[in-house]
Amino acid sequence: MTREFISLLPTFMIFLPMLGSLLLLVTPKRWRDEVAGFLAVLTLGIGFMIWRAGGSGLLSVNWVPALGITYSTELSGVSLALAMVTAFMSFIAVLYAARRIPNPGTMLALILAMETGLLGIFAARDLVLFYVFFEDALLPSLLMLAIYGKAGRMQALVKFAAYTLFGSLLMLVSIIGIKYLGGSPTFALADLRANVVPAGPTQTWLYVAFLAAMAVKLPLWPLHAWLPDFHEQNHDSGIPDVMGTLYKVGGYGIFIFGITLFPDASLELRPVLMGLAAFTALYAAWIAFHQTDWKRLLAYAGLSHMGFVALGVFSLNETAVIGAMYLLAFQNLYTGALFLAVGMLQERIGSVHTRVGGAMTQAGALGGLTLALWLASIAVPGMAGFIGEFSILLGAYQVFPWLAFIAGLTTIAAAAYALTAFQHSFWQARPPGGVVVRDLVHTEWLILGLPLAVAILFGVYSAPALNLMQPAVKAVLAALGSN
Amino acid sequence: MPTPEMLSVPTGTNLYSFGALFPILAVLLGALSSTLLGFWVSRRTLTYMNLGWLVISAAWMMGLWNQGRQAFTHTIRLPDGQSLITASLQADNPALLLGLVIIVGSVMTLLVSLDTAWRARISFPEFDAMLMYAITGGLLMAFSGDLIVMLIGLEIMSLSGYVLATLQDSRRAEEAGLKYFLLGAVGSAILIYGIAFVYGATGSLNYAEISLRVASVDGLQPQNVGILVGGALLVLAGFAFKIALVPFHQWTPDVYSGAPTSVSLFLSTVVKVAVFAGMLRVFSGALADAPGWASTLQILTAATLIIGNTAALLQANFKRMLAYSAVAHTGFLAMALLGTPATGGAALTYYLLVYTLMTAAALAIVAALQRTEAGMEVSDLRGLYYRHPGYAVALAICLASLAGLPPFAGFFGKYLAFQAAFQNGYVWLSVLAAVTSVAALIYYLRPGMLMFMPDRTPAREYANGQRPPTTLAVGLGVAGVTLLGILPNLWYGWLGNPAIWQLLAGR
Repeated sequence: MTREFISLLPTFMIFLPMLGSLLLLVTPKRWRDEVAGFLAVLTLGIGFMIWRAGGSGLLSVNWVPALGITYSTELSGVSLALAMVTAFMSFIAVLYAARRIPNPGTMLALILAMETGLLGIFAARDLVLFYVFFEDALLPSLLMLAIYGKAGRMQALVKFAAYTLFGSLLMLVSIIGIKYLGGSPTFALADLRANVVPAGPTQTWLYVAFLAAMAVKLPLWPLHAWLPDFHEQNHDSGIPDVMGTLYKVGGYGIFIFGITLFPDASLELRPVLMGLAAFTALYAAWIAFHQTDWKRLLAYAGLSHMGFVALGVFSLNETAVIGAMYLLAFQNLYTGALFLAVGMLQERIGSVHTRVGGAMTQAGALGGLTLALWLASIAVPGMAGFIGEFSILLGAYQVFPWLAFIAGLTTIAAAAYALTAFQHSFWQARPPGGVVVRDLVHTEWLILGLPLAVAILFGVYSAPALNLMQPAVKAVLAALGSN
Repeated sequence: MPTPEMLSVPTGTNLYSFGALFPILAVLLGALSSTLLGFWVSRRTLTYMNLGWLVISAAWMMGLWNQGRQAFTHTIRLPDGQSLITASLQADNPALLLGLVIIVGSVMTLLVSLDTAWRARISFPEFDAMLMYAITGGLLMAFSGDLIVMLIGLEIMSLSGYVLATLQDSRRAEEAGLKYFLLGAVGSAILIYGIAFVYGATGSLNYAEISLRVASVDGLQPQNVGILVGGALLVLAGFAFKIALVPFHQWTPDVYSGAPTSVSLFLSTVVKVAVFAGMLRVFSGALADAPGWASTLQILTAATLIIGNTAALLQANFKRMLAYSAVAHTGFLAMALLGTPATGGAALTYYLLVYTLMTAAALAIVAALQRTEAGMEVSDLRGLYYRHPGYAVALAICLASLAGLPPFAGFFGKYLAFQAAFQNGYVWLSVLAAVTSVAALIYYLRPGMLMFMPDRTPAREYANGQRPPTTLAVGLGVAGVTLLGILPNLWYGWLGNPAIWQLLAGR
């Protein structure tokens, strides 16, 4: 394969799912599952090709020359890892949707459309292109909520969209400012990095506007209020939630654009932002403990993880940033699979309440796999989450020991909320007259088993992922100068 | 004080340049033939003929690209001995681009009227005639080289507009038309008064000459500056009535929702585009260097963004909501006027085309699916996707584009407007616009999402709404919005050249 061809691969990878999404509109009903699954696998396959080649290299062509907007894409390092996890979980979501949702054409099309947006976010190396994909991923997720959501979805929808757009529009103003005030010829990341806005209040304000969007998506307290409603009102199967957890691109955005384009402002705001992140992690874990709805519980658990990610990124410490990216990538696996597990539980007992009791007696495999995924989620050593969380704490400790300590308490809280809820659902006595709970069948084994296997693989053998991420993180932090 | 030369005899080689005039004459011919032939042929035939005239006019405009034709030229001697050729009508590139936008909106109006005019009880030949007169006026504004031609264009367009709004035999339409007429007349009066002031301060009505005198110190006596500022502000207020800038917007929701929907479509797109074309000529051209108007426009824009967006949030009627959304979009469009002529002109013209496509397509769908001319309630849209999947998806795309979501062209329109204002130093206005856009998103989102929610109640739409011409207009809008969103350069490539926007004043 030539370099030119490899640099085209991210473009194929991004738009293949969108093509599939459009293709599903004209595909006869009985072939839709197969077509969607095939395209999802193909997308993942392209990801492997890029990985084999050691990253894609940069592709940059003019998009709107008069405005300095380019179409620049690159999948390597952190972005490649995130893109591959995205492609993998999209495949899992397709697999489950095909079986679970009656007449799944629309859902499959939306999953694939969303995958395009997400892959685009990770591949974009131009700020306007990034913004375009950032907003693009919003539309399918809104439609999933509108079409498949529950009774209170309108409120959840409005809340979600209002928060998200409030942030992104401020980011848009910031994007215009970065280019104009920095004097960069184009919006391409390389050009912007060469023409950073000089340190001072202007850069800080631009960073704050940029952060507004990222903090909503991350999400960071106090901009998180849309998250629990979003997950609670989504379809029971958990498929929209899987795509929703992949939605947490805020940490990545801060990493790739925030640190490099606002180096002085990110150093200046470091204490405040790390404090917010540590508080978010602990606060979310505390709220999660009180939830009786599995989906809200998972939403707050995800929020808590994202607090960790933010702590790592904002600390600007190499170990912590690598950990944050590691956690960001692999958190999708087990949280996504847990949402699907909740969907399976709901399918069997008709509720997402955490106090159903005794499901373990009849559905041992479901219970076992769920527990294993929960252990991955609370960062038990040997699972991918542990490497991420431990690195973050290790790095953050070198910057602000007390904040690392506060965030560290989260790991205890996480064990408490996860195990309590699991115990209530799966172990306590079965209520009299309860329906018979069927155990896992067919592809359900794969749907929960594959993500778990990957989480264990990268928990035990982290070298491939770390080798991929480390140079990228080093390069980004080098932009800060001597730190 | 230079001697007024208004009454002197025009001179020049291309005095009555037919080439520059033809795009306007073609539309005027359509208007005249509709007036006369209405006695013998059916209205549908007339509409098809008029569509033909519009296409011819558009094709001719494309042929005029880069030729810089002028008509009614006039040579004046400058104090430094050089001479300046001024024109009352100029077919320069900005005029052609804005003229094409007007034609696009007009074609969509005619297509929609083919289906809905009969149902709205406005299916008379007079409807077509009035429409074509209004388009003629709009083109005159875009092509204008002096304030008088601009004013004549505006009056032709406004008078036809008043008739169009009242044409339907209903109390609501009469009320709307009367309101439109009374407030429009006040707006015109203020505008004419302002033009008189500008003439008094500069001694000229021609854009090129005004701009020359405003820019040079010895051309404009210091004691005339006050008059010039007063004139510019009065002209601004007059225009503000016509494009519905807050606080001059009160007529808009009543007129847009009271008039037949195809007329609302016309008023909210073509008329607004034409007035913005006039504003671009006057404020980014003739009065670009005049003091005072920009800071006032900044305040009006801020008020429009806040009030337009919050008021739209409270509407339960979908058509009325679109009317307030048109007010809100006026705010975004006016932001572009605050940019430098080069960035602002390009931004405004891009946005106007996109605005026309998306607003016209959205209103076309309302016109097709509404049961009465009052439009439909937002809640009536529930489950539309399962009854009219094509229209529902199209409407969703229009709403997403209106909200400024990529990959649809509304995003680039908004982006360009933000950029134009930001780069000219209006940072806080850009931030305010971003914040008010959130309100906009919510009111576009609600109907957009309701359409996709499953619904078991009986349909609330007009059963036979989906017809080929309306579908064609909707398809044109949706395809345009999508294509221009993914490949903005198709249109921006023509606009992006800063040199053409230096010609706004014609010098």
